[in-house]
Amino acid sequence: MNVEIEPVTGRYMRLDFEGRPHRIYWEEAGQGIPMLCLHTAGSDGRQYRGLLNDPEITRDFRVIVFDMPWHGKSSPPPGFETEEYKLTTKTYSDMVLTVSRALQLEKPVVMGCSIGGRIALVLAMEHPSEFRAIIGLQSGAAIERYYELDWLHHPEVHGAEASAAVVSGLMAPTSPDADRWETLWHYMQGGPGIFKGDLYFYRGEDGDIRDRLGRIDVTKCPLYLLTGEYDYSVAPQDTQAAADLIPGVKYQVMPKLGHFPMSENPDLFLSYLKPVLAQIRGSR
Amino acid sequence: MALPLDRLRQISRGDKHLARFGRDFACAILVGDGDDDWLIEIDKGEVARVTKGPLIMPRTDITLRASTEAWSKHIEAVPPPGYHDLFAMRRFRHIRIEGDTKLLASYLFYIKRLFALLRPVEAR
Repeated sequence: MNVEIEPVTGRYMRLDFEGRPHRIYWEEAGQGIPMLCLHTAGSDGRQYRGLLNDPEITRDFRVIVFDMPWHGKSSPPPGFETEEYKLTTKTYSDMVLTVSRALQLEKPVVMGCSIGGRIALVLAMEHPSEFRAIIGLQSGAAIERYYELDWLHHPEVHGAEASAAVVSGLMAPTSPDADRWETLWHYMQGGPGIFKGDLYFYRGEDGDIRDRLGRIDVTKCPLYLLTGEYDYSVAPQDTQAAADLIPGVKYQVMPKLGHFPMSENPDLFLSYLKPVLAQIRGSR
Repeated sequence: MALPLDRLRQISRGDKHLARFGRDFACAILVGDGDDDWLIEIDKGEVARVTKGPLIMPRTDITLRASTEAWSKHIEAVPPPGYHDLFAMRRFRHIRIEGDTKLLASYLFYIKRLFALLRPVEAR
């Protein structure tokens, strides 16, 4: 029997967040510069499996990925059964800072994708001194509404499978089948209403930061934006529109990738990410 | 290139993705390809009948209309960004999607797969 045990460890932390007890799951691998990674809406930390398993990265970076409350192996707080989950900018931003402090991370790099790419911009705007560098994947300051969310959480529709079908096209057609379907499986496992609840932050007025982007000062914290060309939720022109408002930001389009670069084609994504990490490693 | 929907029944027969996501699926889809209309009738998860227009008062659950140019890009072996998925085409206004959106959401994997099957064999 040929068994390969990954160098990834998973643990739980218990802490109070927004006045309620939470049990939050995180995975990590590596040592060195802490790098906190944020998954997309309705998914979980497994999206970063390629990063966690890459020895070249984990040699210099302590890669940490937590499942947001209500996602993956992190539970919703007690009392969830009578509420509708709706993520807000403040909750998301506070959550990242809380987890970072709970793990006593010293000036981590933060990298987020999609909703994580949006909150990366918020963190760059409001908390630049907390981070060594910020990387936004599929980052936009606002998104266009191009489909209805009603059926993503309805008693007569399998919302998780519908959510997976919605996001399936966001990936590049050239990404490997196994990684694309792994990415979709995470969506199929999502809790009822969670993808939709994340999009409340993402698609609503609360999350629209177009008028505030100019406040980002990259001299306080370097900001890198990378966007896959096949994404139509945050298309390359959407990230470009954001980048145009941020002096000094470094923006790159990633050919042959879509909305889930780290998960849909980890090897190709790492070829774009490693030069960025080399720059971050070399700066202080 | 116009959509080769006349071959859809044959192409879709035995497809494992359609079998996986088509449980109990019954639906009539009107497809507008430029000036041509087609009616795809699905029963028990299988493409039962495909009719080329002109159609006389077709009973449809879902209508998908795009230009021939947009459809032809959609079915390229490696479609360009923005044309590679029905919702990508929706985002960039290349397609109009109307009708029973609950049915669309319930069987979205199936419906996307149906059109992806019109790509060259190696790209399916």
